[in-house]
Amino acid sequence: MGMQSVLNRRWLPTFVWIIGLVLFWELASWFLLHVSEAPMAQSKIPYIHELIITFTEYGTTLFIEGRATFSNAAIGFLLGAVLGVTLAVLMSVSKWIEQLTFPYAVASQMIPILGLAPIVYGIMRDEQVARILIAGYITFFPVALNMLRGLRSVDTSALELMYSYAAKPWMIYWKLRFPAALPGLFSGLKIAAPLAVTGAILVELMGAQNGIGVIMLRNLYYGPSHNYMFWSTVIVGAFLGVMSYLIISLLERFLAPWQADFRTNGGDR
Amino acid sequence: MKRDTTCYLVVILLTNMTLTSETQEKGEISMTIVRTPEIQLDQVSMLYKTDTTEVLALKDVTVDIKQGEFVSLLGPSGCGKTTLLRIMADLIQPTNGEIKVAGETARTARLAQKYGIVFQSPVLYDWRKVKQNINLPLEMLGVKKAEREDRVDSLLELVGLEDFKDKYPWQLSGGMQQRVAIARALAMEPEILLMDEPFSALDEFSRERLNEELLSIWSKVGSTVVFVTHSIPESIFLSDRVFVLSPHPGRLSSIVDIPLPRPRTQGMRNSPEFFQLISDIRDSFEGV
Repeated sequence: MGMQSVLNRRWLPTFVWIIGLVLFWELASWFLLHVSEAPMAQSKIPYIHELIITFTEYGTTLFIEGRATFSNAAIGFLLGAVLGVTLAVLMSVSKWIEQLTFPYAVASQMIPILGLAPIVYGIMRDEQVARILIAGYITFFPVALNMLRGLRSVDTSALELMYSYAAKPWMIYWKLRFPAALPGLFSGLKIAAPLAVTGAILVELMGAQNGIGVIMLRNLYYGPSHNYMFWSTVIVGAFLGVMSYLIISLLERFLAPWQADFRTNGGDR
Repeated sequence: MKRDTTCYLVVILLTNMTLTSETQEKGEISMTIVRTPEIQLDQVSMLYKTDTTEVLALKDVTVDIKQGEFVSLLGPSGCGKTTLLRIMADLIQPTNGEIKVAGETARTARLAQKYGIVFQSPVLYDWRKVKQNINLPLEMLGVKKAEREDRVDSLLELVGLEDFKDKYPWQLSGGMQQRVAIARALAMEPEILLMDEPFSALDEFSRERLNEELLSIWSKVGSTVVFVTHSIPESIFLSDRVFVLSPHPGRLSSIVDIPLPRPRTQGMRNSPEFFQLISDIRDSFEGV
């Protein structure tokens, strides 16, 4: 009974918002199409019910292509995350390594992905590898930066405690620095995950055999007749981004549950 | 000086009394242990240097702390009492003078994991539950899991936090957090317990209660305790001897014996002897 009311209280506002938004959208779409008679009205604000029809019709295609994009992005993301964490650890161990690598890590982020993607594709001549590399490339920087900050967030007394136990350096990392860095690591991962998906889609736009980006581009070329399909691919792309974020958030709840954000009593969150 | 000798004799007598059926030889060994000072400071000075200034935080501190003794370092802020504690803990090295812990250097003592430290703030690791925080030093020592669990359980009981063992530090009050920190410091059964104003962030009521709890814990574990405080009543209530430090430069201005009997009770705080000791210590400050 109590559980039920909590659920209602939590979900009711969301539910009302969604219904309201859908109604508003449908109304705006109808207005653009029939009242103001804007050119290519359905490309601007398409009917939601038409999109739902497209989804039921082409669901399998969208699923298969979306899966291809997502798995490539995921592999690249994992690769970039491992690289980012490794670099952060090395930089935290040695100031020398930090001075040697950090400026280049920053500089690497100045290169526009839109320009880098075709270059990588040109070198690798393999869409799969190119997608993975770009996703990894996007991931590594926010992960390295946030992980490094996390590793450094340890306060002096916490270190002195380890010192008083005559702890070996690797023990200090294992028992203190790594756990202390987990919240930082996760904020880096949460920034990077949706970006990795976007990166993978971007490479697909450059030319690939499969992936959500490919049908996105194709349906854009076909023009207004394929408008609903184009919109569907955009929605799938967004959905993949949100999914990646949610997966990381869920993981964070399990692996770093002590954080202030997750505290249930105290505060009015 | 005379009182010192008397105390000393009493200690030897007590040691012999506990050794009823032991051989005389063993008795002598125990006596030598009692005689050995646990911590010896000889002309210890600490000079902090920056580009423009030099601050003499400690000047020529020479003291002996006996094994099993409860000693307070008392003084106003800036008198170097925390610096002195940190030197004993081998967290910093003195610029002059020598420190010996059980006849060895402070570094050797630290590497032999002889120290339990309680800081001004609890310094609990956020990601560890109460029991895991207490478990930390045992993990560092490589104690076996089954033994660790037993020891953590008895420590939780000792500080009265059995019901909170599965809570995270943020779910505890300040006083409870500091009790966890004490349990953690005791977990490795340290020879020497160093406490840096552990109760200074607490209200007067919790503080007096924790003072009494600390003494009852100490009576069970028998470590040598060095306790930093700026509260005169706290230092008297807890200690065998109070080392009074004065600032600018930080130096030892007097050592006050506390002859109150043990176990100490809250009632003693209102006794004439207690007030006399307070005024004695006040005088020793003004005499500086």
